[in-house]
Amino acid sequence: MTNSTDRKLLIVDDEPNLRLLYEAEFKSMGYDVTLAEDGPTALKMLDETKPDLVILDIRMPGMDGIEALSEILSKDNQLPVIINSAYSHYKENFMSWSADAYVVKSSNLDELKQKVEELIDRKKDTP
Amino acid sequence: MQQSQWMEVYKNTLTMILAGGRGERLYPLTQSRSKPAVPFGGLYRIIDFTLSNCINSGFRKIYLLTQYKSQSLDEHIRKGWNLFSAELGEFIYAVPPQQRYRDRWYSGTADAIFQNLNLLDQHKPKYVIILSGDHIYKMDYSKMLAFHVENEADVTVSTIPVSLNEARRFGVCQIDANRRIIGFQEKAQNPAQIPDKPGWCLGSMGVYIFNTTTLAREVSRDAKRDSDHDFGKNIIPSILNKQRVFAHEFEDINGKPAPYWRDIGTLESYFQTAIDLVNVNPEFNLYDNSWPIRTYIEPLPPAKTVWRGQERQGQIIESMVAGGTIVSGGTVTRCLLGPGVRINSYSNLEECILFNNVDIGRNCRLRRVIIDKGVRIPANTVIGFNPEEDKKRFVVTENGVIAVPKGYVF
Repeated sequence: MTNSTDRKLLIVDDEPNLRLLYEAEFKSMGYDVTLAEDGPTALKMLDETKPDLVILDIRMPGMDGIEALSEILSKDNQLPVIINSAYSHYKENFMSWSADAYVVKSSNLDELKQKVEELIDRKKDTP
Repeated sequence: MQQSQWMEVYKNTLTMILAGGRGERLYPLTQSRSKPAVPFGGLYRIIDFTLSNCINSGFRKIYLLTQYKSQSLDEHIRKGWNLFSAELGEFIYAVPPQQRYRDRWYSGTADAIFQNLNLLDQHKPKYVIILSGDHIYKMDYSKMLAFHVENEADVTVSTIPVSLNEARRFGVCQIDANRRIIGFQEKAQNPAQIPDKPGWCLGSMGVYIFNTTTLAREVSRDAKRDSDHDFGKNIIPSILNKQRVFAHEFEDINGKPAPYWRDIGTLESYFQTAIDLVNVNPEFNLYDNSWPIRTYIEPLPPAKTVWRGQERQGQIIESMVAGGTIVSGGTVTRCLLGPGVRINSYSNLEECILFNNVDIGRNCRLRRVIIDKGVRIPANTVIGFNPEEDKKRFVVTENGVIAVPKGYVF
């Protein structure tokens, strides 16, 4: 049984309703969830909460997810990041390839949840 | 390959030159400039050789990835290499670190590409040629690209036979009968030797061709690893089993018996490589019109000697002299004189390399001295005859080559 304090997620999305939905879903799975509405806030949270995984939207006002991804990588290149965008075309953007997974937004959260579990497990396995 | 297909390949190829080398062992020549910007051969900068190879091979979409002390290099590129037609899709851009990753220089060759993936996104080329801006050689990259395409390779590495001793400084490949790379060690103590050529290894020249998707994927993966972010050390060894990685044998077009490729690492090797150019039959041929080496040439009057007489005679013996230089009543033997140099009366220089606008006063005796730009050597100065004295003032190599840095005041 994993201790929930080992499983901290940072969810970055500019859409308030989506943030609330994700928060409820992942909390019910035992995750400790922090929310950020944009890139700069996410980077601040990163330092404060030291998450185990980041779920990152791409299209956000100001700093977009691609830029935020670069910043996250410069702070901690081992931190798993899942890009979660409504659009699939950013997959063709080479700059998105350093994310650990790319999940297109859907009303069904199974794929996203599965990726989160997978990456958190993988992170635990590597010392 | 048919002509039309070949044109497609050309059009879809982007060249990225890693031009950020600090060249610490070339200090003090790299005190105020990066290694690719170091003057070489009287007229050139080290970068000119790689850039000339690009132009002569027909590749005219070039990014130069610069970093430390890049101003000198930037200026040289702007002045000397402004010969691309944007309308035809040609360009040469010097790109400083975007610092997308805050306050961070490139941590390795692969990191330099990773931090500039936006450029690949912008152009979406099919192939990327990756070169170093530090090397002196002549190479037709189009032959390597043809080899890459014909072998349906993901990555091609250009290789040259290097002696076992030298090989410890290089990445060394092992290949199968089809030249597919099956092993690769970077800077190994006991690198694998070429089976039918004992004492020799197949060294990587740091010249790569990548399929763009392979490149983007591998540098992105590498960015997530704790590694040196280096093509030779990290990327190539990690993909041998999964990808088609081939070794292309360096086809030298220098026309000499031994293939010529130099990574001028130290002051000593800089001096030897440069002074060799004045020989009757130098190892590197600058005088081959079929493979011109371009550079920026200032509009200067022709070089000139003045004074004729027993004591006071301007003489140039076994030397190379750039425009605007006047040898006035002094003698230079086996020297390389850059543009705008003055050698004044009764001075005698042997095996010296003078960069632009160096001024040698009267009655000087100089031997095996490299003098950086604009230095004024006062009358009666003697350098190169008393190692103990020279060491007090200058960098002196094991073999007695002395470097007088830019801005040195006597």
